[in-house]
Amino acid sequence: MSEVLRASAFHARTATANRSNAWVTRNGVTLASVYTDANEEVLAARTRIGMVDLGARWQLMLEGPRVVPFLQQLLTRDVSGLLPGTALKALWLADAGGVRGAAAIARFGTDSFWFLSASPDFAWIRAAAGLFDVALREISADRSGLAIIGPYAGATLGNAGIDPDLSHLAFRKVFWRGLDVILSRLGEQGGYELWCEADDGIIAWDRIAQAGAAFGIAPVGAAAMDVLDVEAGIPRPYRDYIPATETGACEPSPRGLGFESLVDPDHLVFNGRQEFLQAPTPAAPRLVGVEIDADRAASHTPLFVDGRVMGHTLSSHYSPCLRRAIALARIAESEAKPGTQLSLTLPSCLEWPELRVARATVVALPFLGRPDSLAE
Amino acid sequence: MTSANSYDALVIGGGVNGLAAAAYLARGGKHTLLVEARETPGGLCDTTDLGHGHLVPSVAHALYALDPRVTSELRLTGHGLKFALRNATIALLQDGGGQLVLSHDIRAGARSIAACSKADAEAWPRYSNELFTLGRSMRALWWDLGGKSVRNRLVDQIARTGTGAWLDSWFESDALKTLVAFDASALSPLEAGSALLLVWRAAQEMCGLQGAVAFPAGGPAALSMALVKACETAAVELRMNARVAELAIDGNRVTGVRLHSGDVVMAPLVLSSLSRRTTLLELAGGAGLGLGERHKIADASPVAAAKIVLALDKLPDADGIAGKLNGRLILADRPESYVLAHADARAGRIPDDLVMEVTFPTVTDRALAPQGGHAASVVVRPVPREIAGGWEASRAVFAAKALSRLNGRIPGLVKHVVAIDVLTPDVLSSRYGAEPDTPAVSRMLSDWPARMRTAIDGLYLCGADADVAPAASGRSGRIAALLAISATGSR
Repeated sequence: MSEVLRASAFHARTATANRSNAWVTRNGVTLASVYTDANEEVLAARTRIGMVDLGARWQLMLEGPRVVPFLQQLLTRDVSGLLPGTALKALWLADAGGVRGAAAIARFGTDSFWFLSASPDFAWIRAAAGLFDVALREISADRSGLAIIGPYAGATLGNAGIDPDLSHLAFRKVFWRGLDVILSRLGEQGGYELWCEADDGIIAWDRIAQAGAAFGIAPVGAAAMDVLDVEAGIPRPYRDYIPATETGACEPSPRGLGFESLVDPDHLVFNGRQEFLQAPTPAAPRLVGVEIDADRAASHTPLFVDGRVMGHTLSSHYSPCLRRAIALARIAESEAKPGTQLSLTLPSCLEWPELRVARATVVALPFLGRPDSLAE
Repeated sequence: MTSANSYDALVIGGGVNGLAAAAYLARGGKHTLLVEARETPGGLCDTTDLGHGHLVPSVAHALYALDPRVTSELRLTGHGLKFALRNATIALLQDGGGQLVLSHDIRAGARSIAACSKADAEAWPRYSNELFTLGRSMRALWWDLGGKSVRNRLVDQIARTGTGAWLDSWFESDALKTLVAFDASALSPLEAGSALLLVWRAAQEMCGLQGAVAFPAGGPAALSMALVKACETAAVELRMNARVAELAIDGNRVTGVRLHSGDVVMAPLVLSSLSRRTTLLELAGGAGLGLGERHKIADASPVAAAKIVLALDKLPDADGIAGKLNGRLILADRPESYVLAHADARAGRIPDDLVMEVTFPTVTDRALAPQGGHAASVVVRPVPREIAGGWEASRAVFAAKALSRLNGRIPGLVKHVVAIDVLTPDVLSSRYGAEPDTPAVSRMLSDWPARMRTAIDGLYLCGADADVAPAASGRSGRIAALLAISATGSR
């Protein structure tokens, strides 16, 4: 974690837009939590277009002749066949198989990669890079990202003078009316990301805000993004799980977080592979979605089946699209089938101080498709 | 040309532990080969000839942890291991010329301490008693293969206590604290658990005396020679000038080694007395290791030791020194000196307060020097392992600093010096392959198999790295051999 708080490159604009003056700190960066109303912002991203400050993304540049062997050992997927201008998502694991983090890795050139993650793990990656003489530079504060998500994301970019033709998990450099920027499609929420020098952040924000005005563009805060993450079924570090920090940690396991697709068992050399290949125990929990029969979210709450605790929820939010509270949950394999009926207690509050039990149902993830799926 | 030759077991490195391991393997019925990269066996227990017949211990100059079972089981005394001094005193060279001398004799120690502090003189027998009792209780873990840790409240407490705090709880006199702390100075006295090193030293036994320090007749090289004879008696094949280039590994199993000469030696059992880093990262190429484990192994301690050996035409005869040069003399100003020196060394600087241990081996062993001549052996620790600009450029500065400090405490020493050799960490590493090996509390409380086994089947560590704390003990060699034999026996 960074020890000093810093503002994102878009702070001057997010501060003006932040009517509720609600802020949240992620990776040492202050982000607007709620600009006006989180539900409105979720709906804006799903039905129109939203712009999101990505200032808290942890970014590294990795360079050196042995960067590929290094990433091959670090990451759970094979990067050797990655073409410049494309990216993939993978995990990095502790020696004993616990998830230390999830990242998007984009290839700039033969020996140069861009590493983006929601949470930092500098000491571990620097130590591992040192074994391969790979040069590592943190650029989180230098390169600022602005995500544009929603059905009209492509149209907004076109309005702003950027050709939106780009496939998912790809990026390209764009010279944008005097600014050198990178246009990428790496996000789980679909849409695009525009990366610029930190000093150019305000210009980029203003241009996108202007280009998207015709489609009703709205800034989307961190709270709304959390709702979109849960709707998309993506567990996030420090919200849904605590990453492994010890070399010998085997938890959280990739399977328990629903990250199987980010691990390639045929990739032979990655750290923690042997432990990953061991068959999971029957009692090992699985990641599922839970629809709660209430409109009040219940984060980190035990889940009961016939009076026995069979798992617990992770982060939970009211979903304005589904019009009920939803949650990510870890549940014993035996109870993880969609349709399984559960019960949980809702958190008490001022209006409702007494114990309140709600029913809940296991559903398959994701709850909803990507926000831009309407456009496709 | 590749000539295939095959053995039951192979030992890499002919230091004290390597030789002991080879002897035990051969006694266990294994057809054993020992390969040593240098021309002579002995490793760090070696002698440097400074010319004109001055023989000085190259690195180690005293023995304090030799395993009594190695001595008796390998009949080292019968093979020529004799001691010139069985119970060396330890004395603090103080600024005012006063001397605090401690020895195995607790009453004599208390009398010497009484000059500094009456209260400390009273506490000294109680302190010694507690330390020695604790040391003996830890022998099960520290001396035996299957030993379980004695975990009582006192051990748990000491495992979290720095030497400084531990000694503060016993004594008031700075001089006494400085002197006693020296034996644990491989770690900073501020480091949690460094007090455990004092317990470890007290657990050792030399020549039947608990916690004693002994000088072998002929220098520590005599121990190597006795071990070589023990190896020859046990029919170990010794091959000198044979540097291992890499380990041969098939799947997850070691099958032998490839030498620099190109020769391949096959052996299903390989015991390496080299460091963990050299063995697992350089020779085995990191096979079977995770990234975290690899980094932990590659991460060498920033603190090391240096050695200065001096040939003298005559012993210095300053007041208060004459007649007291037969033990270990410690140069350290005050308890904080260790802390500051460690901080400097970690930061890559030559410490201002160099902490030194000086012995004059020729005082007790006249055979090591020509008629009238003498030699001094000085260990300087801690010093930085790496220094800005490299040790090569700083060697002269370091030597001048150390000599002027020595001359300040032993007046007239420098004018008697006729030859000098300065072994900075880079020299020790290139000449002996020695890597700074810093003790660690977790290592001192782990069991032997955890330190000796590797991720590769059939490959064991048997060097100082596998020991509880680094020392010329022969214990890790012995225990690794027993572990390897029992593992193959049960197969």
